[in-house]
Amino acid sequence: MNEKRRTFLKKLGIGAFLASISGIIYTFFRPFKPDVLYEPPRRVKIGEPSKYPEGITFIPENRVYIIREGNSFHAISAICTHLGCTVQSAKFAQAKKVVSRGEEITESFEFFCACHGSRYYGDGTNYSGPAPRPLPWFKLYISPDDGQLVVDISQEVERGTKLKV
Amino acid sequence: MEGKIKKIFKRLFYTWAPSSGKESGQAIIKNFFLHWFPNKSLKRSLSWGYSLWLGTASLSLFIILFITGIILMFFYVPSVERAYWSVKDIEYVISYGWFLRGMHRNAAHLMVAVVFFHMVRVFLTGAYRSAFKELGFRELNWLVGVALLLLTLLFSFTGYLLPWDQLAYWAITVGTNIASSIPLIGKWIRFLLLGGNEISQNTLIRFYTIHVALLPSILTLLIAYHMWRIRKDGGLACYDNLILNSKKVMTNPNPTKTYSLLGYTKGKSIITFDYKLDEEMVESSPNLTVRALIVFLITFFVCFSMTLLLKTPLEEPANPSVTPNPAKAPWYFLWLQELVADTTIKIGDFTISGGLVGGVIIPGILLFLLIITPFIDKSPVKSIGVWFAKERRKQIIVFLVLIFLILILILIGTYMRGPNWRLYWPWESWPEKPVNL
Repeated sequence: MNEKRRTFLKKLGIGAFLASISGIIYTFFRPFKPDVLYEPPRRVKIGEPSKYPEGITFIPENRVYIIREGNSFHAISAICTHLGCTVQSAKFAQAKKVVSRGEEITESFEFFCACHGSRYYGDGTNYSGPAPRPLPWFKLYISPDDGQLVVDISQEVERGTKLKV
Repeated sequence: MEGKIKKIFKRLFYTWAPSSGKESGQAIIKNFFLHWFPNKSLKRSLSWGYSLWLGTASLSLFIILFITGIILMFFYVPSVERAYWSVKDIEYVISYGWFLRGMHRNAAHLMVAVVFFHMVRVFLTGAYRSAFKELGFRELNWLVGVALLLLTLLFSFTGYLLPWDQLAYWAITVGTNIASSIPLIGKWIRFLLLGGNEISQNTLIRFYTIHVALLPSILTLLIAYHMWRIRKDGGLACYDNLILNSKKVMTNPNPTKTYSLLGYTKGKSIITFDYKLDEEMVESSPNLTVRALIVFLITFFVCFSMTLLLKTPLEEPANPSVTPNPAKAPWYFLWLQELVADTTIKIGDFTISGGLVGGVIIPGILLFLLIITPFIDKSPVKSIGVWFAKERRKQIIVFLVLIFLILILILIGTYMRGPNWRLYWPWESWPEKPVNL
């Protein structure tokens, strides 16, 4: 009986020791997962729709392109899906037709990445270079309080989702 | 006459000086700074041609980096707002700042190269194994060496971000995104490494602390262990080779050890044998110590000359919205960047990112090969400690081909990649306006 109690207490002691050690070690490593991020917000107001010219506009703070076609707007990410460099846009003198993901689209610009030479059609579809995925489209909506455009880069939307104003 | 002058000199400046081989050995062992050297050394292991002294050169570079690094720490400010400007001050305002930063940078680049060639030397001489299991276990020291090589690369990588210029920012962007292409845990690793979703203040302070505190401590301990193991494994591998080729001579079977540290020991007296290597050995002081000093001086001289001849680059401040074209990783990672750009595999609609193939899988396989090499190499023991032993021809050819491929990829990445990562001959000029679709 006594022996049993002794081994039980020994195990309890070792267990308590290991648990407290792991607790201490946890406090060493847990701080490395940030609780607050002082980064630019993922959902931002980017001004009145009317201030955007026809065609493509780059918003450097959020690394996103806003594209206006008449009264419709959409947002495409400027972060290359290969290794995260900022893709640049190149405008064509004349719009041209390309087949992107089985559909024929008319594009007046394309994207390319300087780091490793990936290329994307105007709708963000990758067609050349090492990029593994198309550039995502982000949610775009009108802020109900002051009518500004809001882009939410934490929410991806289907290609072709456009905001009509 | 000369003897007399020496005698007077000794009288004036020594209270005691070694007068025999035994005493000069004692002088080494009892000295704090010299105690890691053996009493006597093998002539062959002191020759320039056998080891090329690359390990000593690596340590010399580490010492230079340690000293210049501490001085730079007094002037560098690890904050996003001030990092770039403090480096600019080091370069243009602080007296000799340009010199210290240049020495630090050149020594860092040299260290990557020298540590790498140190590994190549050990491989080519088959020095990662022991001919006599009872004399040592060099396989373990090879593993420590591989760890030291990886730590050296990590050292360089973390230091690369600190100037916070365009070069730094985009090299780290590409580097950390390679990590995020590891399946399942990649995104998580990148988040922890950066301390957020993008390169920010959190990233800078993390890289800084790893660079100036964590890695120097780990590296110092590992280097000490690496050197201690060389001694405990019976010296350089050429020693094993010498023993294999010499005759065992029995010495008198006297009871050589009847006392242990704790008192009288019972049991049989130990029978010893000897290889009669006395002719092959020399006193470590001055033969080893002076050579080590010469290697340090040569290393220092090379660093010094590079600093005077080469301009230490500092580009524009980091700008997350503008990627320079082309954006290149540091040269020792360019072979990886080249692989990453070339290895995206497309099967129909299914794509495997080059980041995973070239950035994780291929280097992972190479590292795995490095780790298991000493354990799978079953060539005869007489090939240990011999340059280009013919018994190891196959291993050496495979190894050299891999090294050669890595060097070729580095050269292509450095000299032949222009805007949009297109191939250009080194003598071809790049287009003035790189946007060309």
